[in-house]
Amino acid sequence: MDVNWLQVLVNSAVTGSLYLIASAGLTLIYGLCKFPYFAYAEYIALGAFIGYFVSEVMGVSLSGAFVISFLVVGAIGFLCYRGIFQPLARRGATIIHLMVASVALGLILRHLIPVFGDIFPVLEWSWSPSYFTADWAAFNLGSVRITGLWAWTVIAAIGLSIALHIMLTKSKIGKAIRATSSNPNLALASGIDVQKVIWITWSLGAGLAAIAGIFRGAETQVWPNTGWEMILPVFAVVMLGGIGNFYGAITAAFIVGLAENIGVVALTALGLSTSYRIGIAFIILIITLIVKPQGLAMLFRRS
Amino acid sequence: MKPILVAENVNAGYGDVIIVHDVSVEVSAGEIAAIVGPNGSGKSTLIKSILGFAKLFQGSILYHDKDITGIPSHRAVNLGIGYVPQTDNVFPNLTIAENLDMGAYNKRGKDTIKTAKGDIFHMFPELAAREKALAENLSGGERQMLAIARAMMAEPKVLLLDEPLASLSPKPSAMIESKLEQIRETGIAILIVEQNVKKALELSKRGYVLVNGALAMRGESASLLADDSFKERFLGLEQEH
Repeated sequence: MDVNWLQVLVNSAVTGSLYLIASAGLTLIYGLCKFPYFAYAEYIALGAFIGYFVSEVMGVSLSGAFVISFLVVGAIGFLCYRGIFQPLARRGATIIHLMVASVALGLILRHLIPVFGDIFPVLEWSWSPSYFTADWAAFNLGSVRITGLWAWTVIAAIGLSIALHIMLTKSKIGKAIRATSSNPNLALASGIDVQKVIWITWSLGAGLAAIAGIFRGAETQVWPNTGWEMILPVFAVVMLGGIGNFYGAITAAFIVGLAENIGVVALTALGLSTSYRIGIAFIILIITLIVKPQGLAMLFRRS
Repeated sequence: MKPILVAENVNAGYGDVIIVHDVSVEVSAGEIAAIVGPNGSGKSTLIKSILGFAKLFQGSILYHDKDITGIPSHRAVNLGIGYVPQTDNVFPNLTIAENLDMGAYNKRGKDTIKTAKGDIFHMFPELAAREKALAENLSGGERQMLAIARAMMAEPKVLLLDEPLASLSPKPSAMIESKLEQIRETGIAILIVEQNVKKALELSKRGYVLVNGALAMRGESASLLADDSFKERFLGLEQEH
């Protein structure tokens, strides 16, 4: 079998970029609130649907879709925390309670999407897949095929990394997020309004998921499982990167992306269906948990 | 002198358990007051309850004669009450400079923070040299200095210190003691919790002795140290360590 390894690398960079955008917010939320927030996947789906509605149904530009989706899902993220998880935590809920609540919330959100579509037919939200119609010109760079969407995904991931790095190390709120994440009581003792920091992080995190949702929806399809389909790689990236460690997540996203794309080559060579590729993220997740539960955090101490 | 911070008839603990029973302490500007007592006597719980880090079942907290009982921790800090926990008292994943920035979180204006940081580095030149080092790479003494420096960044009027000398070897311990003396001289009130009874009373002007969550003795530190029954009860214990 002839494998274009350069193409595999490019594909890995694209996959990694998408995973990075999809996990950046979750790792910040996870780092702050210390429980696996499964409903995060639904922010990805919601982002895809809202983006689809704005750009395809209403006919606003795609960039408009990114902005509106980011804002709306960011607000939803805030409401989820303020309405559900903050009161639960205040009543002394343990990690298990919060996790189960997040699974339930995820199911509800996912199934509410088509319900909303039924109530408001104008949204065109349903279980049957919709597709972004934007025409992404594909071009060849030597032997490598690249589409405009891929290029934008990588550019967005790079932009996001730089923006988050600056925010986390230079801005007051960014430093407060890192401080609160490592020691909430000491953050309070420093006069930081920890509750506000959590609100901002949840909104920002949900908004980032929405952006990932549009990229994913444009690459594949928009349906209520758009987010759920990504939950394994997203959690694999967060765990491998070290919970709450943004720099670890960048590295992990590209490791998972590379592993998946090499996995696709291997699956093809073995004559197996490439739909098993999702198992690769699962394997990485399991191995991380068994071998090094703290993930790559050892490499990036300044988290 | 009029006390700046008063904790009155405090009953405090965690969950449903009351650990501190009806204890009152106070501290005035430019004075060090020490809360001493054996392990598990409720010393830490008492100062934690002042800031809301332990549950205050009963009693009141007065700051500058104003009742601040039950206000959120971060607001008490913003009013001018600094707190340094015994453990986990720095942000390990942040640099020294970033730890100090967090201490000045509610200060407005880059210049104000810069000036405050300059003052702190003047007081703690050991930290200035390693500004960019991660806090987790510091020695025990340096860490304790950073913890105090972080609290000082907010320019508190009162500093609550939970066993700042615990687990330090003699040299860094002496260094921290001299820093505390410097801080006191600037007019800040320091309320210190300490297990080492003798050291704490030598350092402080006023002492409170807690046993099983209740106030066993109180008075001028010097007279407590000279008191025979005190020596027998508390310094005798100390020597067994």
